[in-house]
Amino acid sequence: MKLLEKASRIYLLASLLIYVAVGVAFFWIIKFMIYDEVESRLMVEKQDFETYIRSNDTWSNNSYFVENKIEVVPVFGRFDNKVAFTDTLISNRYDETADPFRQLTFYTLIGGSPYRVAIRKSMIESYKLIEAISAAMIAFLGLLLVSTFLFHRVLSGKLWKPFYDSLARIKDFDWTKNKPLETVRSEITEFNELGDVMEKMASKMQHDYRSLREFTENASHEIQTPLALINARVEQFIQSKDLGENHTYWIEEIYHAARRMSRLNQGLLLLAKIENQQFTEQEDLDLSELALNKLKDFEDILQHKEIGLTVQSTGSFRKVMSPALADILLTNLISNAIRHNYTGGELRLESGADYVQVSNTGNPLKSDPERLFERFKKESAGAESLGLGLAIVKEICDNCELGISYQYEEPIHSIRITG
Amino acid sequence: MKILVVEDEKGLAESITDYLSREGFICEVANTFWQADEKISLYQYDCTIVDLTLPDGNGFDIIQTLKKIAAATGIIIISARNTLEDKLKGLEIGSDDYMTKPFHLSELNARVKSLIRRRNFGGNNDMIWKDIRVNLPARKVFIKDIETTLSKKEYDLLLYFLSNIDVALTKESIAEHLWGDNMDSADSLDMVYSHIKNLRRKIVEKGGKDYIQSIYGIGYKFTAP
Repeated sequence: MKLLEKASRIYLLASLLIYVAVGVAFFWIIKFMIYDEVESRLMVEKQDFETYIRSNDTWSNNSYFVENKIEVVPVFGRFDNKVAFTDTLISNRYDETADPFRQLTFYTLIGGSPYRVAIRKSMIESYKLIEAISAAMIAFLGLLLVSTFLFHRVLSGKLWKPFYDSLARIKDFDWTKNKPLETVRSEITEFNELGDVMEKMASKMQHDYRSLREFTENASHEIQTPLALINARVEQFIQSKDLGENHTYWIEEIYHAARRMSRLNQGLLLLAKIENQQFTEQEDLDLSELALNKLKDFEDILQHKEIGLTVQSTGSFRKVMSPALADILLTNLISNAIRHNYTGGELRLESGADYVQVSNTGNPLKSDPERLFERFKKESAGAESLGLGLAIVKEICDNCELGISYQYEEPIHSIRITG
Repeated sequence: MKILVVEDEKGLAESITDYLSREGFICEVANTFWQADEKISLYQYDCTIVDLTLPDGNGFDIIQTLKKIAAATGIIIISARNTLEDKLKGLEIGSDDYMTKPFHLSELNARVKSLIRRRNFGGNNDMIWKDIRVNLPARKVFIKDIETTLSKKEYDLLLYFLSNIDVALTKESIAEHLWGDNMDSADSLDMVYSHIKNLRRKIVEKGGKDYIQSIYGIGYKFTAP
């Protein structure tokens, strides 16, 4: 639930409860005050009545009280001498309706015999007053509720706008890019503080990302430069005319080791870069087509190793990913399939709408297939293989949300990339 | 032909200049950004080899300055950074080639020569050595003026040799020249061998001499017997 909606609901519920409570309390207060007023007037009339009785000691219903609202009834037998107020309905003299009255009942002695006296006052006017006040109250409170609710909504929307704008910018923020995060400034201190904190965090993230990236690049540079020097020196050295057989053997070893180290360094750097998600450019690629084109680069070696090539395509496997990574992925897959192939073997490229599969003939795995994609996992003891090719393939798949599976059906090894 | 080598690693700069001097180029070295900046504003070079990472500056800035004051100079970037962005940026600001360290001196030499050829003759010239003549625009090879049909790889191989006459070339550098970095395997060395065999046969068939000399354990040398 959105903050605004939640706040509105709570506000609406709370103000509804408060308004109802206020309304009810108001109603009772008014009612109490009106009763209080009526009752005090009844008490005054009682005093008048008693004064009259005391001086005249008689009562006739057509005395100076204009309205016939005093009822004097003789009482026989036992009675409870107490003064009580009651609500009562008396039928109207002119029409058939019953009107509400407040009645004061007390007992008194007139001419020595006990009488029950009931003095009444009509409540019609008072009830009308209560009704009118209540109706006005409900109308005003309702109007107040609606208007404050609307006002609250608009105000909250306005107040929170910088927050939502900033949130949208934070969502769009990409720490691999150089563009700094800029949150929306407003009059509200808390939002500005939040914005400051977010901006600081974002710039720290960008900074860390950049330094990590620079570190990997610098590490590469620092290692590649001495390796380049070794290479260059060896190349210079082999130009000398008087090299013995022993010398050339040693030189070749040095040269090989240096080149191997350089490739190893490049492979590990590549892995680090993939892990750090430094390949950010995205394109919609057709992996089936790319794989097919990639095979052309390997034509020579396929021919040389007399490897038969079968291509089977039932659809194009489209994927939005980094073109550089797609290229590395396919190159590694194919060169792996060639490296572990035997002369006169077979290489098969299959593709469909959601997969690309490279299969090759080869000797059965000596190690656990589960560990095939681990780093430095080498099948052959051959010094040429670095043991990074499939680790890189796996890393790319993990980073680009591609599935990868390995299958062996004698003598075909298959690696399948699925979308 | 004058070449400026901008490289902070002194040993590497020395190797490059030694190697290219043997090929008849006049080489000068700048070890720092400021040296390079001074040299390019004072002298004219046919080709500049620039390392991107210098202790006191960025190689890209040198290239930009160079493009402003001497647009005809060929530029080859040598860098340990092999990111696509760097390569693209290098080409964008006007460099002609990009080589990732570590590279083969023979490869650098071949690229410098090819660059100078392109710069000076627009590629419209023949490469002649002894009785071999290569017509570059048509990619045709003549041995004693008889046309010889070479496969694409054999042609590339011959050109590589012709750019590195009398130089011992390692099998690895040849393999990399022909197939790029991807082909690092024992197979590619076998393939080098079979291509060399074919090339040698085709040259001899047309009456040429056997110019390709094997160097045990190392590679080959193209030289007059």
